[in-house]
Amino acid sequence: MIATDETPLLRARGLKKSFGHLEALREGNLIVNRREVVAIVGDNGAGKSTFISCIAGAIKPDAGEVFLNGNPLELGSIHAAMRAGIATVYQDLAMAPDLSVAENIFLSTEIRRRGIAGRLGLIDHKAMRARASALMDELGITTLGDVTATAGSLSGGQRQVVAVARAVSRAGELIILDEPTAALGAKQSQIVLDTIHAMRERGFGVVLISHDLPRVLDIADRIVVMRFGRVVAEVAPKGQTVRHIVSLMLGEQSAAEESAGS
Amino acid sequence: MTLSNVKTDSEPAQESSRPKPAEQRSGPWSALLGSSALRSTTFYVACAVIALALIFALLTSGNFLSTPNLQSIGRNSAGLMLLAVGLAFVLGAGHIDLSVGSTLVLASVVSAKVTVALSGSGGAGWAITIGAICGVLTGAGMGLLNGVLVTRLRINSFVVTLGTMGVGIGLAQVITNGSNVIGLPTVIQRNFGVANWFSIPLPLLLALVVSLIGAGVLTQTAFGRHTLATGSSETGSRRAGVKVDRTTIGVFLMAGTAAGLAGFLDITRFGTTAISGHETTMLQALSAVIIGGTSLFGGRASVLGAMIATFISTVLLAGFVMIGVSSFYQRIAIGVVLIIAVWVDRVRQARANTT
Ligand SMILES: Nc1ncnc2c1ncn2[C@@H]1O[C@H](COP(=O)(O)OP(=O)(O)OP(=O)(O)O)[C@@H](O)[C@H]1O
Ligand SMILES: [Mg+2]
Repeated sequence: MIATDETPLLRARGLKKSFGHLEALREGNLIVNRREVVAIVGDNGAGKSTFISCIAGAIKPDAGEVFLNGNPLELGSIHAAMRAGIATVYQDLAMAPDLSVAENIFLSTEIRRRGIAGRLGLIDHKAMRARASALMDELGITTLGDVTATAGSLSGGQRQVVAVARAVSRAGELIILDEPTAALGAKQSQIVLDTIHAMRERGFGVVLISHDLPRVLDIADRIVVMRFGRVVAEVAPKGQTVRHIVSLMLGEQSAAEESAGS
Repeated sequence: MTLSNVKTDSEPAQESSRPKPAEQRSGPWSALLGSSALRSTTFYVACAVIALALIFALLTSGNFLSTPNLQSIGRNSAGLMLLAVGLAFVLGAGHIDLSVGSTLVLASVVSAKVTVALSGSGGAGWAITIGAICGVLTGAGMGLLNGVLVTRLRINSFVVTLGTMGVGIGLAQVITNGSNVIGLPTVIQRNFGVANWFSIPLPLLLALVVSLIGAGVLTQTAFGRHTLATGSSETGSRRAGVKVDRTTIGVFLMAGTAAGLAGFLDITRFGTTAISGHETTMLQALSAVIIGGTSLFGGRASVLGAMIATFISTVLLAGFVMIGVSSFYQRIAIGVVLIIAVWVDRVRQARANTT
C-alpha cells in the first residue's frame, strides 16, 4: 500500500484475542490520523486494554492486522511497534520498581557513554539523570522530587507521570495512553492533558483510554465506544452528552434505537 | 516540547528547589557499589568479616592472622566467590540456580580428564590450558541449557536447575565412574593452584579480577540494568522494551561460566577432582550472595557484597578448625546467618515498600 495523504497513521482491522474461553477482544477496528486524539471508552472489562496491547505488540492477537502509514506491522512484537514509532503508557505502567526514575525512563533505550566505553555497553548514568530531569521540567511536571528515587518509592500518581514522560520521550508517530490520569490529582492531570494536546499539535496521533468522560468529551477528536470486546460505536464529541456516551457503553441506547427502529 | 504555559508564577521556585541529580562522588569504588542501601550492606558485611577474623585471632593468640592461614582462606574463597558472583546476577534477575555446585564438579571432571588425556602427548602447559578452556565451556554449556530451558519451556528456574543439578553431578559420576580423576601434572598446583603473586594466591587473584569485572557489568552496563529490571518486574521490563529472554539466558550463562572456571580452580588446588566434596558449595555461595545484599526476590543485587560475604563461610571454617571446633558447626553457623540475612532482606523490603 502506498502512503498518501489519505492513508491514516494507524489502521487496525479485525483484531481478535481470546484468553482461554474468554473472548476479550472480538472485533477491534480503529483508525487514527495524524494530528488526532482518538478516545476509547467502555465499561470495565470491555477489552480496551487488550485492544491497545494488540496494537502496541504486548499481546499477539489471534487474528487481524495493523497498518502504520499503510505498512503492515509485525504483530506481537513490542520492538517492532517501538521501532515503528509507537509509544505506550500501559495501565500497569510497566515500571521496574527497584530501578530509579531515570533508569526507568531510559529502560531499554539507555544512553551509552562515548567512545570505546559505550561500545562495550557502558551506560552514562549522569547523562540519563540529567536528561530525565530535563524531561520532567519540559513537561512541567512538578510532583516529582528526584529522578534518582526508585520507581517503587513513588506514589501511584508520580509513577503514572513518569510513565507518561517516558512514552512522550519515545513516541515517534503514535502515542497510546491507557488511563494515564486515573491516579492523578487535578494539576498533574491537567499537565498530562496539556501534553496530549501539545503532541497532537506536533502532528502525533494519540489514542487515549479514559473513564473520565467529561474530559474525554473535551479533548478527543473522535470517541470510539467498546462493549464486550467490540467497537460498537464511533461518535464525534461535539454536541454529545456524557449520558449518551454512557448509554452507548452499557448498550442501553442501541437497544432503545433497535426497538425504535423495528 | 515546551509547555511553559502550564506553569504558574509560583513554580520557578519549586523548580530550583528540586534536588538536582545527586552529584555523587564517582570514584570507581562507589560506582561499583551501587545504591546507598547496598553500600551500607556491603559495609556491614565487611565489618562482620573483619570482626570474625579478629575474634579468631584473639582465640588463637594471633595465629589466625598468619600469612599462610590467610592465604589458605583466600584459596578456599576463590571458587566460592566466582559462584557467588554468578548467582548475584541470577538472583538479581529474579531466578535461582541450584545447579552451580554440580556444574562446578562436572567442569572440574571434564577439565581434569582433558588435561590428563593431553598431558601424555605434549607439554603440560598446553594440556592445562585446553583443560581449563574445556572446563569453562562445560560450565557455559550448563548455564546456557538452564537459560534456554527457563525461557523456552517457561519452567520455573527452581525446578529447571534442580533437574540440571542432578544431571550435572550424575554426568560427572558417569564420566569418572565415580572415582576422582588422578594423574594431573603437578605444575598445575605448583605454578598456579598454590602459587602466589606478592603473597596473594593466584586463584584468588583471578577470582577477584573476574568478580570486579562482574561488578562493573552489573552496575555500569545496560545488561546489568536489564538484569535488575527483569528481576524487578518481568512484564514491566518486557513492555518497556527489555529483551527479557536474552537477559535471562545471559545471567544463567554467566553463572554457568563462572562455575566452570571455579571447577578448573578446584583441580588446581589439590591436583585432583573432588566429586563428592561440593555438596554444600552451592548453599554456601547462595548464602554469601544473600548476606551480601542481593534480594532473593530479584531486582536488587550486589556483586561486591557477595564477594565480601564469601569470606564469612571460609573464615568461619578456618577459625573453627583452628580452635578445634568441629567443622560441622560451620554449616550450622552459615545456616543461621543465612536465615538472619533473608529476614533482614524482608524487613528492608517491607520498609522500602512503605516509604
Ligand atoms: N492476561 C489475561 N488473561 C486472562 N484474561 C484476561 C487477560 N487480560 C484481560 N483479560 C480479560 O479480558 C477482558 C478484557 O480485559 P481488558 O483489560 O482489556 O478490559 P478493559 O476494557 O481495559 O477494562 P478496564 O477499564 O477495567 O481497564 C476482561 O474480562 C479480563 O478479565
Ligand atoms: Mg484496561
